[in-house]
Amino acid sequence: MTTSSPPARIWRELRSAWAITKKDARIYYLRPGSIMFGILFPLFLFISFAIGRDLPAGVLVPGLMAISVFFAASSIGPMAVPTERKTKTYERMITAPVSPLSILVGEIVGGAIFGAIIAAIPLIIGIVFYGTLIVNPIGLIGVLVLVSFAFSAMGIMFAAIPTDNPGDVMMILNFIRLPLLFISGIFIPVSAMGMYGAVALISPLTYAKDMIQYVLTGTGYYGPFTDVIGMLIFTGIFLWIGVRLHERNRKSG
Amino acid sequence: MNAISVNNLTRDYGTLRAVDHISFEVESGEFFGFLGPNGAGKTTTIRMLTGLSEPSEGTASIMGCDITRDAFHAKEHFGIVPEVSNIYEDLSAWNNLMFAGELYGLSQPERTRRARELLEIFDLTGFRDKKAQGFSKGMRRKLTLAMALIHEPEILFLDEPTSGLDVQSSLLLKEILSRLNREGTTIFLTTHMLEEANTLCNRVAIIVKGRLAAVDAPEKLKKTIQTTQSVEVSLDSMTSQVTADLTAIKTVTSSRHEGDKFRLFTPDPAVVATAIFEYAQAHRLKIISINTVGPSLEDAFLSIVQRQGDSRTEGRP
Repeated sequence: MTTSSPPARIWRELRSAWAITKKDARIYYLRPGSIMFGILFPLFLFISFAIGRDLPAGVLVPGLMAISVFFAASSIGPMAVPTERKTKTYERMITAPVSPLSILVGEIVGGAIFGAIIAAIPLIIGIVFYGTLIVNPIGLIGVLVLVSFAFSAMGIMFAAIPTDNPGDVMMILNFIRLPLLFISGIFIPVSAMGMYGAVALISPLTYAKDMIQYVLTGTGYYGPFTDVIGMLIFTGIFLWIGVRLHERNRKSG
Repeated sequence: MNAISVNNLTRDYGTLRAVDHISFEVESGEFFGFLGPNGAGKTTTIRMLTGLSEPSEGTASIMGCDITRDAFHAKEHFGIVPEVSNIYEDLSAWNNLMFAGELYGLSQPERTRRARELLEIFDLTGFRDKKAQGFSKGMRRKLTLAMALIHEPEILFLDEPTSGLDVQSSLLLKEILSRLNREGTTIFLTTHMLEEANTLCNRVAIIVKGRLAAVDAPEKLKKTIQTTQSVEVSLDSMTSQVTADLTAIKTVTSSRHEGDKFRLFTPDPAVVATAIFEYAQAHRLKIISINTVGPSLEDAFLSIVQRQGDSRTEGRP
């Protein structure tokens, strides 16, 4: 089977994408920027929200998991891509026989795995300290895969900003991420937002939090069908825009 | 089959035309030099040929594969060593090579075999598990070259490969490049070091202000400026009076200091050499060395660059 045959080509692209994922895991998971923006920042944000409020674990744990996966998964791409532009290692991937889509998929999966690992921390805390029960464990795995992939794709989309300084991307990304926290039913449930609840629909974090809550507790605001469709639409948008922006950057050389 | 074919390749950045309708071919197995002054379009050309940017006009192919329409297969045929050593500093030499091998679709046994071979060739075996961030400039360069060679490419693109290296590392790198070329690898080299191009390349192309000014063998390029012959002399006393007297010798067209030597340009070196001997004898000066020198690739380069620059300036409205 030569690389000219479609199955061989797809297999080859998948292997290359996986190599990029492994490389990101080795290099970027323990970088200060990833730990700061991916773990500490959302953790302190949530603690400041939760302290002094007698919230049930069924609200606390899904909210913290959603924030964790949101920040962690969307932080790896904006760390990795500008850094690699600076060191010119991104060019190494572009000059290799790997399609632009595979490069981005590799980067996205790298962020997604990081997001899923970080999301497991509040879940373990919930299970150990709050006695959280998982109503649908298989569903939880599926939800984490979908949600972390979507948010990592969002990070990669922002990583298309043509700069070689990760701080520049993080600044713009936080300008979007922080307002989303307040309209996504994390701090104030969508049901309590009244007429402003409609705003929640434009945030991917809304569906992520609702899905996580559904698989953990068996109840959600929108229901699994709407959540999955919403999440898939956002994933598609992030990928579509991300691939085009990165390709435009490459063509403009 | 030509290893590289370039046809009317053009690249615009806004209103600036960085590369202007250049066409040339590089045969398989050739050592091809791509020379030009700073900002002439060398790096832009290499970036288009390796898929890092797209041409505004024109086409190019690598081993028959179009760089735009069949980029995947075109990229399988070459390795690239950019001007900056683009290695992953947080990875060990071994993991850098493994990653490069995976990008080029090598199986685990293949990339292990190649990585071992390359570490041996580049004298990096003792550093295989060390993170690259502690490597010297020479070691980084060697690792970059090793990563470019992991898939045994038919073509190797090198952008200023010896820039900033010490003499020993530079010599080793040139030796490896020569050997690769003897073994059949086509080499496309951009360099500022004309002596490097002169000794290594079968043919060179000279690009000036985005346009190709010449494509030929170094010796043939030198012959185009055969009038630029010279006599290089070093006397035990080189006062300003002595250099003025030497410059006044009949048939000397110009002169310049080159370190402790004085170079006199002339169409007739024999006449000038005889005059220098007579002058030294008459003034009781000791000749430390005297050589007649033909035009170098540097002379040819400067002459071509100047000619091309003049013609483009004249051609402007």
